[in-house]
Amino acid sequence: MTTPHTTWHADDDLLAAYVAGELDPIGGASVEQHLTRCAECRVRIRPLVDVPALDRTWLAIRDTVQSPVLPLPIRVARRLGLPEPTSVLLAATASLRTAWLASAVVALAFAVLAAAWSSDGVIAPFLLVAPLIPVLGVAAAYGPHEDPLESLVVTAPYGRTRLILLRTLAVLASALPVAVPLGFLLPGPVWLAVAWLGPALALVPVLLALASFVGPRAAGATVAIGWSAVVLGSLRPLPATWPVEATQQVVYLGLAALAGVVLYVRTRHDRQIGAVL
Amino acid sequence: MNAIDLQGVTKSYGRTRALAGVDLSFDRGVTGLLGPNGAGKTTLLRIVATSIGADSGTVRLLGRDPHGTHGDVTAIRRELGYLPQELGYPSDMTAFGFVEYVAVLKEWNDRTRRLAEVRRVLDLVGLGDLATRKVSKLSGGQKRRVGLAQSLLGDPRVLVLDEPTTGLDPAQRADLRRTLSVVAGRCAVLLSTHQTEDVAALCERVVVLAGGRVRFDGAVSEMIRTAEGQVWLADDPGHDAVVSWRTGTGRHHVVGGMPPPGAVPAEPTLEDAYLLMLGADARTASARAAPA
Amino acid sequence: MEAIRHPGPTPDAPEQGDTALVARVTEGDTGALRELYDRHAAWLQARLMRRCNDPEVVADVLQDTFVALWKDATSYRGDGEVAGWLWGIAFRRMVSRLRKRKDVVLLSVWEGPARAQLDRTLVPAAEDQALLGVEYGDLAGALRRLSPEFRAVVQAVVLDGLTTREAGRLLGVRENTVKTRLHRAKAQLRGSLAEAALEDWR
Repeated sequence: MTTPHTTWHADDDLLAAYVAGELDPIGGASVEQHLTRCAECRVRIRPLVDVPALDRTWLAIRDTVQSPVLPLPIRVARRLGLPEPTSVLLAATASLRTAWLASAVVALAFAVLAAAWSSDGVIAPFLLVAPLIPVLGVAAAYGPHEDPLESLVVTAPYGRTRLILLRTLAVLASALPVAVPLGFLLPGPVWLAVAWLGPALALVPVLLALASFVGPRAAGATVAIGWSAVVLGSLRPLPATWPVEATQQVVYLGLAALAGVVLYVRTRHDRQIGAVL
Repeated sequence: MNAIDLQGVTKSYGRTRALAGVDLSFDRGVTGLLGPNGAGKTTLLRIVATSIGADSGTVRLLGRDPHGTHGDVTAIRRELGYLPQELGYPSDMTAFGFVEYVAVLKEWNDRTRRLAEVRRVLDLVGLGDLATRKVSKLSGGQKRRVGLAQSLLGDPRVLVLDEPTTGLDPAQRADLRRTLSVVAGRCAVLLSTHQTEDVAALCERVVVLAGGRVRFDGAVSEMIRTAEGQVWLADDPGHDAVVSWRTGTGRHHVVGGMPPPGAVPAEPTLEDAYLLMLGADARTASARAAPA
Repeated sequence: MEAIRHPGPTPDAPEQGDTALVARVTEGDTGALRELYDRHAAWLQARLMRRCNDPEVVADVLQDTFVALWKDATSYRGDGEVAGWLWGIAFRRMVSRLRKRKDVVLLSVWEGPARAQLDRTLVPAAEDQALLGVEYGDLAGALRRLSPEFRAVVQAVVLDGLTTREAGRLLGVRENTVKTRLHRAKAQLRGSLAEAALEDWR
């Protein structure tokens, strides 16, 4: 609706007094209400305020707005002491985003519920899913060497191998606060909550070693299928905790060592200038 | 000591010989790499960018051997900028975020200096205000410029650009020329392209690669001279010309062979020299990518 | 090294309206954000300083406001002026910031400057006085007769655009109390105001 004062403008003296806080309350309120409606007077007040402070604030805004927002899990890690450049590198990893970790929580929660609600406490779903979370997370954390996305990583000083190992560690670290607390809710002995770590810490090097031959996606699928076969195959004939019992854990340790040797040998013989993975 | 030194470099993929013994040296300045598809241009550029290793021969970049120690290769990579032929971007990353990511990979660990450097290179390629757009929402030419921006981080001493002009319109190509002419003062720039006009405008030196071998290595003006006396404008196409086509004015531009009757000699261009050098094969291999 | 500048996807018409600029911000155009900042940051800062004279807090609020504008530009529905929308964001951010800081308070705009009476007294030109009178009538007298609680409510709801519920939270009273006080304040002021000016207020 039209107002009678659209032709009135605040002159510079009035604006200067307003900025300096020297106007009486009504004058001040009047100028304020006018400014919300008048672009011209908003321009005229510009040179009268603290311009250097405005410029400084703009620089801070620009930095905040241009730099991408870090995903929540990375922000948490940052508060816990993660170095700033590392957080930028990890932020680009899909498997460190909230969505991924939330899905992991949901999957594990279902596994725990299955164990709690079944009459004989079937823990197989948990034993199946828990080690695969870091495995699939690592497989999703990088692309094969020939990927257009990876071509810059290969030729950068930081180093592709170093980046992949960084992401692997980060994925493993992020799986722990997700899986261990849920594991404590399982029926059965308490050590089950961390028993899954044995296969997890073995399957990840196996994944990396395999990925150096066939790429991370194929390697991830192979490892997932292999582990599923172990857990599901032992379901009927053997006790529920068989996949993570002591003997098996030693076997997993051996597998991890073997995978490490394979990776080491490949690195020595590789002509790809340090990008064996 | 040259910035880039290649001697007897070979590279094969299975049974395909991509490079069959290449001897080249580059120092400061802009060199254009011309050649039909499959000539080995991308392979050569990838070797110089330390993306892949050569099968045999000697490679020295900034005096170091990329096949040597990890320390050597990392030292080379600190002074290297690379724009690959195909560049992928993580989905939902902004242009700024992508260049910042590469900047961290290039060891720009101090946040304030890193942000300033990212802004600098994005302004250089004219993407200052669009930096916060998602890369997936940018046009092809803008995406290419994001790739170009990251290659300029840190003022590299060796700049390897694989088809940097793809998707750029003439105005943007002119901007690229301007950027490169400034950079070339202290940098060895090696770029590959299908467009002879880009080489003619951008480069002092041109290398022609075909079948994994170097067919020509010298100044652009030298290469143009090789076509002297073999280019004409005529009313009909010569029947044994290397290549000829009908120009917009209705006359025929004839390259090579015997001059048809009534032919008038024409000023040779780099394109003419290129076509002569490689014969009709060059024509079918999309050497004339740009419309006349 | 000379920066090469290109015109943005929308050519910079000298007077692109604020609404168009906000639309460009939703597309991720920092140039548009800069332009909005150039147009609005100054008066926002001045107005915020009248509510809280701590420049650091004001700078932080200003920064938060424009970062919020960047992130939530799509929430602008195009109803009302961008300036009013921006003040709404800015003032609410200031209120929540002040809630956390016990040492900084929200100032009342109704206290005239003590200084003004002593040294530099601004006397608006007769013309301005008359026009100010048209806007608000003999508001000064009427407001002086209001109690501080009523004045606070008028400041929060009428001047600064908070909802009655938000004003309640700010002033530490129930929403109904705010509504009552507002109603009574308006009734008391009504006699002194031109009808047009009152309608302006809500």
